[in-house]
Parts: sequence; C-alpha cells; structure tokens
Amino acid sequence: MAAPLEVVVSSDSSSQLWNCTVFDLHSGSSLLSYRGGNSSARTLTVLSGSTSCPLSSDQLQQKIVCPGVVTCLTASPNGLFLATGVAEAIYLWEVSTGKLLAVLSRHYQDVTCLKFTDDTSHFVSGAKDNMALVWSLSSVIQLDSNHVPEPRHVLSRHTLPITDLHCGLMGPQARVATASLDQTVKVWELSSGEMLLSVLFDVAIMSVTLDPSEYFLFCGGSDGNIFQVSLCSQTITRDKQFQSGDDGNQVFKGHRNLVTCLSVSMDGILLLSGSHDETVRLWDIQSKQSIRCLTHKGPVTNAVIMLAPANMFLPDSRPALPLPRFSRHVHGSEGDASESGELCVRLGLYTQEEDETYLQKAAKLNSLMNAVTDKSVFGDGENTKVRVAELEEEVQTLKKVNKDLYDFSTQLLTKPT
Amino acid sequence: MKAKKKKRQDDFQKVKLKIGKKKPKADNATNTSFRSKAISLPEQLKRDTSGPTTHRNQGINDLLSQLHHHNANVKHGALLGLRELLSINPQLLDSHLSRLLSEVAAVFTDKDGDVRITATRVLRFVAQSVPSERVAPFFPLLSAHLSCAMTHIEVSIQEDAMKVLDVLLEHYPTLLSSRPAVLLTNFLELISHRQNTGGAKKALDSKARTWALSVNPGRAVTSQEWRLNVLLRLGQFLQAVVDERPVEKTDMSHSEGSLDKEGHITSLNLTWEELVYNKAAVNLFEHSGAKPTQFSTFKLRPQSESTGEVGESLDSKEAVQNFAATLVPLLLEVWVEASVNNNSWNNSEAAHLLTPDAMSVMFQVLTILQLLRKLAPHQEHQEALDAWFRKEYLGDFKQHFLKNFPYGNLDTPKHKKKNELKRNKQVSALPMATVDPLALNITLCQVMVSLSQKQELSTESDSSWLTPLRVFAQDTLSSGVKLSSKQLNMLLDTVWKMVVTQKSRTMTEDLLAAIYSYYQQKHLNLQTRSLLLSFYSKLYQQEQVHTHIARSKVLSQWLASLPVQLSQLGHRNPTLSAQLIRSIQAAASRGNKDMLLSLQKYSSELYDSSEGVIVFLPSELQQQMVQLLYFLPKMPQSLLANLCGCCNDGRISADLGASLIRIVHLRSSLSGWTVGSQESAVQDVDYLSFLFSTLSGFSSEKLSSLQDTVDECAVPLGALSPLRLHPTPTDHFKHHWDIVDEVCLCLENLGSKSQCFDVMQNGILRYLAKLRVIPDSTAAALLKAVTRLRDRSVVPSEPILRLLSLCCLSLLALLTTLQQETPETNQKREAIWGSCVSALGAVPRLLRTVLQLLRVEDLTEDELPHLGQVLSMLLQHSPLHNQLLSNTALLQDIIQQLTRYSRSSTREQWMTDLLYCFSVTMAHSSSVHRGSVGMY
Repeated sequence: MAAPLEVVVSSDSSSQLWNCTVFDLHSGSSLLSYRGGNSSARTLTVLSGSTSCPLSSDQLQQKIVCPGVVTCLTASPNGLFLATGVAEAIYLWEVSTGKLLAVLSRHYQDVTCLKFTDDTSHFVSGAKDNMALVWSLSSVIQLDSNHVPEPRHVLSRHTLPITDLHCGLMGPQARVATASLDQTVKVWELSSGEMLLSVLFDVAIMSVTLDPSEYFLFCGGSDGNIFQVSLCSQTITRDKQFQSGDDGNQVFKGHRNLVTCLSVSMDGILLLSGSHDETVRLWDIQSKQSIRCLTHKGPVTNAVIMLAPANMFLPDSRPALPLPRFSRHVHGSEGDASESGELCVRLGLYTQEEDETYLQKAAKLNSLMNAVTDKSVFGDGENTKVRVAELEEEVQTLKKVNKDLYDFSTQLLTKPT
Repeated sequence: MKAKKKKRQDDFQKVKLKIGKKKPKADNATNTSFRSKAISLPEQLKRDTSGPTTHRNQGINDLLSQLHHHNANVKHGALLGLRELLSINPQLLDSHLSRLLSEVAAVFTDKDGDVRITATRVLRFVAQSVPSERVAPFFPLLSAHLSCAMTHIEVSIQEDAMKVLDVLLEHYPTLLSSRPAVLLTNFLELISHRQNTGGAKKALDSKARTWALSVNPGRAVTSQEWRLNVLLRLGQFLQAVVDERPVEKTDMSHSEGSLDKEGHITSLNLTWEELVYNKAAVNLFEHSGAKPTQFSTFKLRPQSESTGEVGESLDSKEAVQNFAATLVPLLLEVWVEASVNNNSWNNSEAAHLLTPDAMSVMFQVLTILQLLRKLAPHQEHQEALDAWFRKEYLGDFKQHFLKNFPYGNLDTPKHKKKNELKRNKQVSALPMATVDPLALNITLCQVMVSLSQKQELSTESDSSWLTPLRVFAQDTLSSGVKLSSKQLNMLLDTVWKMVVTQKSRTMTEDLLAAIYSYYQQKHLNLQTRSLLLSFYSKLYQQEQVHTHIARSKVLSQWLASLPVQLSQLGHRNPTLSAQLIRSIQAAASRGNKDMLLSLQKYSSELYDSSEGVIVFLPSELQQQMVQLLYFLPKMPQSLLANLCGCCNDGRISADLGASLIRIVHLRSSLSGWTVGSQESAVQDVDYLSFLFSTLSGFSSEKLSSLQDTVDECAVPLGALSPLRLHPTPTDHFKHHWDIVDEVCLCLENLGSKSQCFDVMQNGILRYLAKLRVIPDSTAAALLKAVTRLRDRSVVPSEPILRLLSLCCLSLLALLTTLQQETPETNQKREAIWGSCVSALGAVPRLLRTVLQLLRVEDLTEDELPHLGQVLSMLLQHSPLHNQLLSNTALLQDIIQQLTRYSRSSTREQWMTDLLYCFSVTMAHSSSVHRGSVGMY
C-alpha cells in the first residue's frame, strides 16, 4: 500500500463551479472538485469510513434539511456521529441511521465552532456567548427522557465571542485551544477544564490550531498575520502577552485579510491557512515562508489538510451505503423505530460501570510488577509444593545419614577393646 | 614655767645607745604586725545581677519561685512584680517563656480570687507580646491548666477560667481550636452534668439524654446569666474552629461556580530540574488518568476512628454529629428555660416580647446552632449533616423556635432598666449585653431555612413552616430597616436558600421584589451594594439550572437597570463599576434582550467622549466596556460619533482605540466574519463616516474653530507651505497615528478598494478641501490613507490631487522646521516623512503637482534654504529616483530659479548640498538609464 496521501481540501464562499476542491499537498495540483452550492465557514467535514464525500451544510450526495441556518458542522473521527450547530443549539445525529440523538441547547447565542476529540469520547463547542462547553459524548447520548445532558466543563473566561477552537490529540487528555475576538487565545486541559495558558495579542484572533506534537500554537489574526506561539518556552506564566521574536514566537506575514482557517500537516512541517483575501497559503513552518498560494474566487471558508480516504480517487466508487435520511426530531425512547424493525442501541442512564481510577490502576500495576519479581525469587504455588517435597525428602535422607553415622561411631567407641 | 621647761627637756633628752643592747624602739614607730579582716553580710548585699529586677530588686527567678509560696499575698505581689518586670524588660519573655507560662498557668486554679485575676492579667500581657507560633509548644500545658480550672469544683475558679479562656480565644484562636475535644466536654460540664444513669436505664432507651442542665444555687450570678456566659465562650470557640476549616465555598455560591472570574484554581508550578532530583513531589490528580472519573479515592482528612460521645476531634462528620447530638438537646433546654423565665416574668399574652437577657441567651443558642452546621469538614458532609439535623430536630425546632416568631423587644419601664444596669455592672458587664431583636430573628431564619430541603415528591412540603420566615424576610427587606452588612448577608443567604429549595415562582418573585426594593434605597454603603449586586448576579447565573428563576420579572428589571446605574455611578467607585460591568457582560453574552436594549438606550451617555463613564474608569474596565460594544444590537449614529470622539481625544489608549475600531468593524456588514444569522449593528454609511471621522482625528467643530485661530499657527512659512498646519502635540500625534493604522487596515479589508477610495475621496473633498488650517496629524493621516487605499486602476481626481500635494508640501516644509532633539519629535518626523515619501511614490502625478506648486519667485529670502532642504531630502531618497527623473525638466527649472534668487555672492552650504545631491542623482540615474542629462 502506498504511503498515506495528504491532501488539502478547501472551499470558498462564491465560486460558481464547484463547492470544494481537493489539492495535492506537495504539488499543489488540483485533484478533485465537488460541485454543489457554497459551504459557509466551518461547515466542511469529511466522513471517514465508507463514504468519501465531503459533507457540507447543503451537500452533494444528499441534502440534509436542517431546522435552521447551520453555523458549524463536524463529524466524529470514527465517522459515527455528526454534530451541527444550528443557531444556539447543537444537533447530534447518528450517521448510520440518520437519527437525531440529542439537541443540546446550553449556549445562549449562536454556536460558532464544534470539534470532537480524536477518540470521539468528547466534543467541544464554542459560541458567541463567550463560552466553550466540553461535552462527554457518552453522557449526551444516554437514553433517558428526564435527564438533561449537562456539559462536563464550562470554559468561560473569554470576554468576547469565541471564533475558533482546536482539540489536540490524546482523547480525553487532550488540550483545547480557543480563540476569541477578545484578542486572546487560551489553552485548556480537557479533562479538568482548567485554563493552562492565555496569550494576549494585538488583534482579534479568528482561527487557531496546534501542531501534532503541540510545540507550537498557530493563531490567525484579523489583520492577516499568523502568529506562532511556542508552547515549550522556559517562562512559566499563565497570562502572556504575545511579542514576536522572543521565545520562538514568530509571525507569518502574507495574508491581507482575516485568516479564517488554519491546519497543520501530520508531520508538523507545513501550515495551511485560508483567508478572506481569497487565497489559501501553504507555509513552511521552520522557515516561515509561503511555499504556495492557491487562489480562490471568494473568501476562503474552509481549508484543511487531511489524509485522503482510500477511495477518494476511484472515479466510480460510490459509498456502499447511501446516507440515510436525517430525521428532524429527537427519537423518543419508546420506539416508533421498533415498528419498522429497527433497534436503537443506546446506553441507559448509569449503566456504564465506573472504571478503575488512575491510582487503582497504578496500584494494580505495581502489584503486578512486584508479582513478577516475587515469582522469580520464590516461584509460584505449584513449584513450591514440589520443591517442599524435595526438600523434605532431602531432610529425611540427611537425618538417615546422620543416624547411620551416629550408630557407627557409637559402635566404634563402645567396642570393647 | 619650770615644768614646761622640764617637759621640753624630756622631749629632747638624748637617747643613749649602747653596744650590745638592742636599740630601743622609737615612740612613734608603727606596729605593722596587725591584720585586718572585713565583716561581710553576704545575704544582705547579694544582688541578682544576672538580670534586671523590679523596683523591689526581685529578679525573675525569685518572682517565679515565689509563686509557689503558700501566702496569697506573696503570690499576688509576685505576679504584680512579674508584670512590672516584663513590661520593662520584654526581652526576658524570650528566655523564660517556658517557666513563666508553666508557673503562671499553675495559679489559674489558685484559691484566692485576686491571685487568679492577676494571673489572668499577666497571661494577657504575655499573650499580647508573644506570637502564637512561639507559644505553640507550651500550649498543651496551658490548655491542661485551663481545663483544670474549668472543671474545678470551686465555682469561682470556674468563672475565672472563663476569663482565661477569653484571653486565649482572643490571641490564640488557632491553637485553641486545633484540639477541641477536651474543651468541648468542659463546656458541656460547665452548664450541665452527666446523669449517672444505671446500665439498665441506658439499655432501656439508648437515645435518652445522658446530659442534663445543671443549676448551681451557689453561684453569684443567676444560672441564666451563667449559661449565657458559657454559651458566649462556646460560640466564640466554635467560631475559631470554623475559621480554621479550609475555606471551601460560602453558602451562596455552592453552585457550579460557572462564571468564576477570579479563578479558584491555584496553579502548581514545577521546574523540571527539581523534579529530576526529587526535590519536590508531584501531586497526582485523579482526572489525569486515561479516563477521567469523578470519584476520587482521596480523603484529605483522615477518617477519625473515635466512637466516643464527643469525638476526639471534630474532623469527621460522625464526630460533629455526635457532638451536636449532645449539645443540641442542652441548647433546646436552655432556650426553653429562657422563654419560660421570660414568660413568667411578664406573664402577659405577648409571649414574643423578650427581655434583653432572654434575648441574648436565645441569640447565643442560635449562633451556636449555626456554627455547628458549619463545623462539617466537607461540603458533602454539610449536606448530610443538614439532613441529619432535619431528621432529628426539625420537630423540636419548629415547636420551640417558631412558636412566638418573630420576636420583639420588651419595653421595660425605666426603673427596671436602671436595675438592669446596676446588675449588669455587678456581673462585670457581659460583652454583648444587648442583642438586637432583628439579629435574633435573622439568625433564627437562617438556622431554620438551612433545615429546609429541596422539594421532592416524597417529602412533605416545608412551605407551611417556612411561611412566617418568608414573610419576615420580605417585611424586613421591603420596610427599609437599616441592616448591617453581616445581617444583610445572612438574610440574603436565607433568601437564597429559600429560592433554591422552594421552587415556587410566586414566592421567588415576592422575595426578589423585596430585595429589589431594598436595593433601590438611596443611601446604601458600598459593601451593602456590592453584596446585593453579587446576590443578583449569582442568581442570574443560576437561571438555567432553576427554571423558576428563569423568567423572573424582577431579575430582568434589575438587569435592565444596570446600564443606568453604571452611567449614574460615573467615576465615583471603580470597584462597584467593575461589578456592574461584569453583570452587564454576563447578561450581554447571553443576549438578554431587555438589558441590551437598555444598554443601547444609554450607550451614548456611557460612551460620551467628554463626560461618559468610559473615560473615567481604569483601563481594564475601559477595555471591558469596549468589549460590551460588540453585543449592542444596533449602534446609532450618536453613539458612533461619541466613539469616534473617544478614539480621537486620547482619553483611552491607542491600543484600546484600535480594538474599539476593530469591534465596530466586526459588527458592520463589511467585516466578512459572520457565523449564523446576526444582523449587522452598524449601517454601512454610518460605518464609513465613523472611519472617516476617526481618520481625520478632529471633530468638525474643532476643525472649524481652528480656522479662526490663524494667528496662533506655529508654522510661519507662507508661500512654501500653502496650507497652514496646526501643530498637534507629539503624544497626540502618536496616538492619532496608531489609530490611523487601524483605520487604514479596516478600510483595506472593506472589500472593493476602488469603491472605498471613491468614498474616501468624496469625503475628503467635502469636508477637508475647504479648510485653510489643517492639523499636521490629519494631513499625514490623509496621505497615509490615500497611499494604502490606492488601487492601480484608480487615478485620483484633480481636486484631490491638489489637496494632497498641498498637504505633502506643507508637511515637507514642516519637517525642515522641526527640531530633532527629543525621541518623540523624531518619531513624529519619521512618521511624517514616511507618509509623504510613500504618497509621492505611490500616487501618480503627485510629485509633479508638488513640484509645480513650488514657485521660487514667490518665496522670501528666509524660505529659500528650507526649500533647498526639502529638495535635497527628496533627491537623497532613492526609491523616488524614477519619479524624479520623469520630472527632470521641472526640477531643473526650480533649481535654476533657486540659484538665481539666492544671492549668488554667498553661495551657502544648503545650496552646495542641493546642487551636489542633484548632480549625483542625475548622474547615477543617467548611468543606469543611459539618459543624457547634462548640467552643472
């Protein structure tokens, strides 16, 4: 199998001919294009698995009619769930059945961005009400009519609407970066909801991303600059003011308008940025040079570097399963679904067993490790029995020898001479 | 006479010396054989030279040893001496602290009253001068003696022990509360005695009280007063224990802390080097596991294994519960007795009127109950404890406490009061002689409300017995009685609990309305106000969790009133303003309609550039206020005009001005960042005019007023500078320059540059072309904006070109007059020069127009050097060479004229410079372009 191919998928807001285009990351040649309407900002996502078609709010394969204007859209990395922000609410669909699993309305204003963690255990939503909410997917889709899903954490330290967020790797231990119009980017710990870092810039930040190893934070400003913040600098302060030049902080200059989307390639060498000046630029992170500039016909709304799905370039491959019709109403627990012979498999409330805590695991591991050494020194149960028997036998023989010796010597000594 | 003579002769008789005989001794010879011995009285003369002494020459060792004397007077004297000695020589304290404390503590139980009192005084003196951490090692001893005194069989010693306790409570509350077990038992024994119940009886009902109130007829005070005394100390002691508890969260905020701006997380900074060498241990946090769990195996406090009736310490829930189980029945008895006494005293039907004595006893009872509740070591324990209280005592409490609620003060006739006073004096005046009935009632409310539970289907409704409390709270708040902030806090706490537990909409509404009416009073001090504010804002944050609060009219009324309050408050109190702004921001981010409309209504006042709140507040608050702008549904023209003024006046920093412009930009339809369906707040026309006025930097009135002050113009150059430039101060210039940067950026991002340029051009022609006096910052800003906005396809119109060339020339002329001493003027020079040069380079035909404007023949003698300087500066600027070359003819013409007009006799330095520059430029470029320009 060939090496995985990374491609650039981008879309702009006013192109007549196609909705989104797929470019080769390294050569910049256009590989594919998908026709259709236009997708607005942050509404392009790709379903992994069998389907290879990018989804967007009004989409090629099948139009999904939503109850309102879709502000953001994301699919879970394992391709099972689709989350969209429609005004203040978050709609969560199951892709395979098209069922609407939950409608979460904890935000007070329009949802601007949604991201899943890489293991699909959590997702984070940012909105114009200055808050970002961390949701645990399993608790959201639990089946319980009178249980209102609560976010696991409320990240509420921004003072103006959140424009973008990025979820790092490592599942629930990931770090989340949020960008806001209040000119700050904040990095949070997903598991505890604590803020780790806040960086203050001179301009409002419209997009944010981290490189895979989380050495650098890339922030797209509203003046067209992209700021690179080094996360492994020596100074430990929770609130920082961004100054280019110190501690490996750098500025990528080239765009002339809002930088709306940022993405870093898997190897952390290339940075992709899309801007309202109708270009998508590819940067070499090390040298901060613009390698390639892909012009579009309108403000760029989405640009992302991703691994090309296997069947993306097979011209006549169609998804094995057609996308089902996405329902518009939340499925109740008692099944209208069961009538049509379908089964809904969802967790009931509190059926999930509590996992061992970290410390318990550590203790277990410790005992396991000790057991190994114990075993090597003392042997395990069965061997000991045998060994005990052996030893007893030996003792017996020794005693016998000793007795013989005694008898012999007494005979020798008491022999009348 | 003869005799005399004879005597004389005797005197002078010759001594005959003979050989072999000893020489007789002379009469006047001194016998040196004697030896002297001194008489010493060592006992009398020995002084304690080892240390300082009292006026009676007693050293500290003497005094301490005298404390063992059997005579009370000697002991008394020694204690007095100690006190004198220590006050003169405080350094003695350090060296003798251990002995001193042990000896003084030993006389706490002395039989003589005077000695005890003096000992207490000495202790107080020591306590005043020794910090608690140095007493800590001796404290077990002290507390042992204290318990000894408290449990002494003699009543008077018990009473004096209270005073000792007072001293310790005052100075060493932390030490005292660290080992509460023994003391608590002592307290109990002071007012009650253990009933010696037989085993059989105990088996009968194990729940039977084993403690009963005791009455000792031998006391000097009535038993009620004595109990009050003890309860007062107990209350103080428990308070000290509670204060020692790690502060978790107060009652009112045990929500999720969702909008916790202060951030309650303490950071843990680690340095890797230290970790490597094991200098610091790393804490493992439970949620750092692969799968975060909410259940922690950590227990921060060890679970106490004590099973005694009074726990070894109050660190576990069980211990507290046990202690409470012992104490609460006693307290109830005290309460009952007090109320019975009271009733017998005035035997009227007005049972709710209390004498001051009864009142203070009851108050103490309630205070202790309250403290007991707070003793729970953890938040979750507190809930369990509350539930336990409810289960055990709700009936009793209801029966006793609420019977005559609310309580009032009994109007005692005057002569009785006198008696009272006298008696009080005799009892050496209790610290808290009178208790406000209000305080009593409020405390009662709080105690009772803490017992109420969240309404569920299973439990019977609490509302029946809560009603009088609710009515009381409502009346108190709405009647406008003056409340101290502590009382108010308690009352608000009560209301909070009621609102949260009793989920009825009408009740909530009534209570909130009462608070709101209190809030609307005029002369509230800062503390009260902020208390009320935080109450409301917390309530608002709870909105989503408790649906019955959600659409409360009072709450939305309060929110809507916030902007008005902010504008009325002005600059008087920044902390309160900060609180207001925080609440406004919370509401704005949630898109509360009423609040936003009200904010919009008052926005022009708030953001007024001369007397609006924004210019008076400290910079962090200014920033928050600027951020609030984002949420406004509409920005009317008047507001934009004010904002423009804010940006230009320099009352807010340039950074903040830039972010203000950015926020307005974001809310215009031209910004391009739209997620979802948000209407743009600013009309495009308004937005453009906002940008334009910010660009010009001065309001139209100011500009027109400048026109009249021609004479004050500091730039005297007439013909060389066709426009009169008004010099702006350098800091203002810099401020404006930074703002203009941002404006240009916004203009560039508007979309079509050519259209934008047209709009700008119209604006400039309409408003600025007529002016004869222009501030230099405006002129420079114009040049900069035009340069940055110009599209290659667009050719500026003739009048605009003319205006620009005038500006350019005047600025260049200004440059020659500016001194370049200070760094500020240097900055200004650079800014002006940069803008001129880039404009000359970028705008086509601008250079030609400028050159055409130069009429050498109109210039006076003085101005010629300036012109020469300008020209040589331009010639030295290499990016302009190409443009200069295309205008060679014009240049030559000017230089010829210059040479003609300047007096050829004295060929001055500037002239030679100019000619040299010219020739170099021409020669250089001719070599490049192979042109043939030969001259000079």
